Amino acid sequence: MSRMFKKDIPFMKYRWWLFGFSLVLNLFFVGFLFTHGLNFGTDFKGGLNLVYQFQTTTSEAQLSEILNKAGLDHFVVQKFGIDDQKTFVIKGDLHDSKLGQEGKLENMSQPFTQALQAALGADKVSLIKEEYVGPKVGKELMTKGIYAVVWAWVIILIYMAFRFDVYFGIGGIAALIHDVLIALGAFALFGREVNLTVVAAFLTIIGYSINDTIIIFDRVREDMVKHKGMDLVSLVDMSINETLARTIITSLTVFFVVAVLFFRAEGDLQNFAFAMIFGVVTGTYSSVFIACPVFIFLKRHGHRFGLGKKKTAVAST
Amino acid sequence: MPSNWRLKTYLSLFLILFSVYLLIPSLLGFNELREKAEKEGDKPPWYVQLFPNKQINLGLDLRGGIYLELEVSVDEALVHRSEIIVGELERFLKEKNIPYQSIRVLPHTSILAIVLQNSEGLNAVQSHIKDIYGNSLKELEKPPQLVYRLADSSEEARLAKFQEMVQWAKGQKQILDVQLDKGEIYVVLDQKASADEVNQSILSAFGGVLQQAPSMPSLFLAQSEAYQEKLKDETLKQAVETIRNRIDRHGVAEPTIQRLGSNRVVVELPGVRDPDRAIGLVKRAGKLEFKLVDESIPDAKVKELVETARTENKIPEGYTEEIVGQINEALKGKIPADSEVAFEFQYDSGTKKVVGGIPYLLKKKVEVSGEMLKNTQVSVQNNEPYVSLSFNPTGTKLFGDLTSANIGKRLAILLDGSVSKAPVIKSAIPNGEAQITMGYGDYQALLTEAEDLVVVLREGALPATLKVATKTVIGPSLGKNSIERGFHATLLAAAIVITFMALWYKGSGVLADVAVIINVMLIFSCLTLFGATLTLPGVAGIVLTIGMAVDANVIILERIKDELAAGRTVKAAVENGYKNGIRAVVDGHLTTFLSGVVLYQYGTGPVRGFAVTLMIGIATTLFTAVVMTRLAYDYLLTKRHVTKLSI
Repeated sequence: MSRMFKKDIPFMKYRWWLFGFSLVLNLFFVGFLFTHGLNFGTDFKGGLNLVYQFQTTTSEAQLSEILNKAGLDHFVVQKFGIDDQKTFVIKGDLHDSKLGQEGKLENMSQPFTQALQAALGADKVSLIKEEYVGPKVGKELMTKGIYAVVWAWVIILIYMAFRFDVYFGIGGIAALIHDVLIALGAFALFGREVNLTVVAAFLTIIGYSINDTIIIFDRVREDMVKHKGMDLVSLVDMSINETLARTIITSLTVFFVVAVLFFRAEGDLQNFAFAMIFGVVTGTYSSVFIACPVFIFLKRHGHRFGLGKKKTAVAST
Repeated sequence: MPSNWRLKTYLSLFLILFSVYLLIPSLLGFNELREKAEKEGDKPPWYVQLFPNKQINLGLDLRGGIYLELEVSVDEALVHRSEIIVGELERFLKEKNIPYQSIRVLPHTSILAIVLQNSEGLNAVQSHIKDIYGNSLKELEKPPQLVYRLADSSEEARLAKFQEMVQWAKGQKQILDVQLDKGEIYVVLDQKASADEVNQSILSAFGGVLQQAPSMPSLFLAQSEAYQEKLKDETLKQAVETIRNRIDRHGVAEPTIQRLGSNRVVVELPGVRDPDRAIGLVKRAGKLEFKLVDESIPDAKVKELVETARTENKIPEGYTEEIVGQINEALKGKIPADSEVAFEFQYDSGTKKVVGGIPYLLKKKVEVSGEMLKNTQVSVQNNEPYVSLSFNPTGTKLFGDLTSANIGKRLAILLDGSVSKAPVIKSAIPNGEAQITMGYGDYQALLTEAEDLVVVLREGALPATLKVATKTVIGPSLGKNSIERGFHATLLAAAIVITFMALWYKGSGVLADVAVIINVMLIFSCLTLFGATLTLPGVAGIVLTIGMAVDANVIILERIKDELAAGRTVKAAVENGYKNGIRAVVDGHLTTFLSGVVLYQYGTGPVRGFAVTLMIGIATTLFTAVVMTRLAYDYLLTKRHVTKLSI
């Protein structure tokens, strides 16, 4: 069955076209970041996150109306459950005028709960999750999130440079930066909430994508020893084709899994799965179309920029 | 067959059995059985005792509960310490009969300011401070305050000028505070401020009516940085300890209380049903103070002053610490400098809500405080619960002296800065007993309140105010739902992956599937063994591991296929497949592991749970997908002499 993958697709022949295409795609997605902006979650923005469960079916519009009537502003109502119209999340802002007046940030859920209970009946409304993040903590968490992603890149670069060489390392990191940018752009485009769980997803994407890249690079490294003197472009093509079956099968299994999560889970987990769906696709794509071209380029021209010496650039196993 | 296959087989079998052993209590809910038996005073059934007393530790998002991050105002502790030192030094000055003008902590700082009437005692004071406080206090070279005298005029004109100056100072960054005391105006400077500069600008703004007071021999002392660090550290430790004690008394099972960074405390309370009560208990300052009522201004006049201050300065209704602070700020100059206003709450008897506050003018000095308590307990009289207090010897003596010297005056009992009661001292109280009555409300609620108060008073006051930095409360129903959903998703994902592998790789795929199943089992048993917490993102981590774990097998199986296609024997193909595949598998998994480590380092709560399962998952994957499957192939090839591989 796997014979169907045993092809000699000349991926690298078109590497500059594909690399250019990826660059444009990346710019496009980065553009979304600027035009749409990211929808930061309570984790990062600070604020209130209240999940209510209702005995009766209700709607975003109805809930908004109730809360508006109670004099609350600066909040968003969203459906939380995936099956019914009974669970909703209300995101309150720290700038809400009513909450500001109360002056007591810690009991911020009270005006919401009171308004809902007054309108729908006290026993019909229950607050099942309440989250309050102070503005200071929000900022801290955001910094932590950025640090986490950057550190992951740095550590992986060091590991790759150590286990492979700098050219492989930079190729791998280029792919990872590509993946994270696309995922961020996708979050901007779809207006999905970016919170800590999403940062966790980004790191998982980084882990997945570098794994994928390493499988190909490992084969390149091996083939370089086996076929000394072979043209680099054809050699990388050969390695990609050799690992193609594995690349497709693994990305399929992981894709199944995140698809299940995306359709079955709610709230944060669904967001996580959303990021991962992009991650699996871009992670697989970038290993071939970003990491490999960058590697070939550096291998040929890297010494000009003072990256490693030409001699030691021969892969060692 | 490799020589150590026997060892590996035994190890694998042992691991599988051990993980089953570890997982049985979680699967069958032995903890509930255990608790039930303990409640009834029985021993748990024999089969429960056979298994370890360990179950998978579910995170707050899966079992419901409270997650709190509290910010400790460590700076407050520094001020508090300075106040204590002021008390000690004042006693020294009195003992040695050194005449002094004032001794106090400068407002908005923790700097001690001692002003003597003449320079005779200065050396004695300096050497005393050196002896007692050593390096913890250092003398400031430039004075942190400027003193002015208002030109003679009527009392009212002076007050007006002073208030004008207070307003003016609000726009000056270098000025922390302005105070009026006995006709003199004290201007407290920021530590970085240049005294000359500020002096210039004050004189140019108010030069006509103001002149610099002749400088008195004075000493300004600041806590050294090392000492402040030590104090802050102690404060945080003490806060953690106090909170832990209160929660333990409250009876929450398995609470987690930890410090976080330099000024935060994390409190995790799983399964708490009444979050508001628990948070109230944790956050309550528990500061008990006895202060004398300043009778120099009649109550009605105090009330009037407060009301005008409120309307003039547009201070909102309410009696929070912040608002009371604003009122006191506005009353500056109108009330004696050593007095302040505090409120007694008035409750609506029906709703139990605060509907108003009676203002009291109190002496700032704390006469007796909560640290001097020996015992507190709930008592009930006439169906009204109250808290009775008894003091330790120091407290008893101070309380006795205080009451005997102030008969006929009122003594205010303050709890966390608000007046709980201000009874008139009818006679001296030499035995050190006092009472705090509760507000109004139904009996059961008052009793609960009294019990909580006793817990707070017994465990001592918090060393500094706590502010909720972040809070998450998760109801148990959400938790249950999340578990079910997560569980279903895991099962479904696993089923898809397993079917896919079996269809694609046939017999070898089934073998990989077995490895994945064992893998998931091992992940759960590792979580149990290490007491790691399983969170909702953690469940996602396990689901992902299932997807990624097969990758190791896919890599190796593809290698074997290549080798077979190249015409090698099954045995050689397997041998080479593992040999060549393993390098990529290890490199790939190690980098993923590294990103897990980074995530663990930067993540909090649920995200950490995800990082943990991811890392455990990688470790177990390497074991099951590489070691265990290899063992199976070796067995098939050498013992069963299989010559054709189903792949």
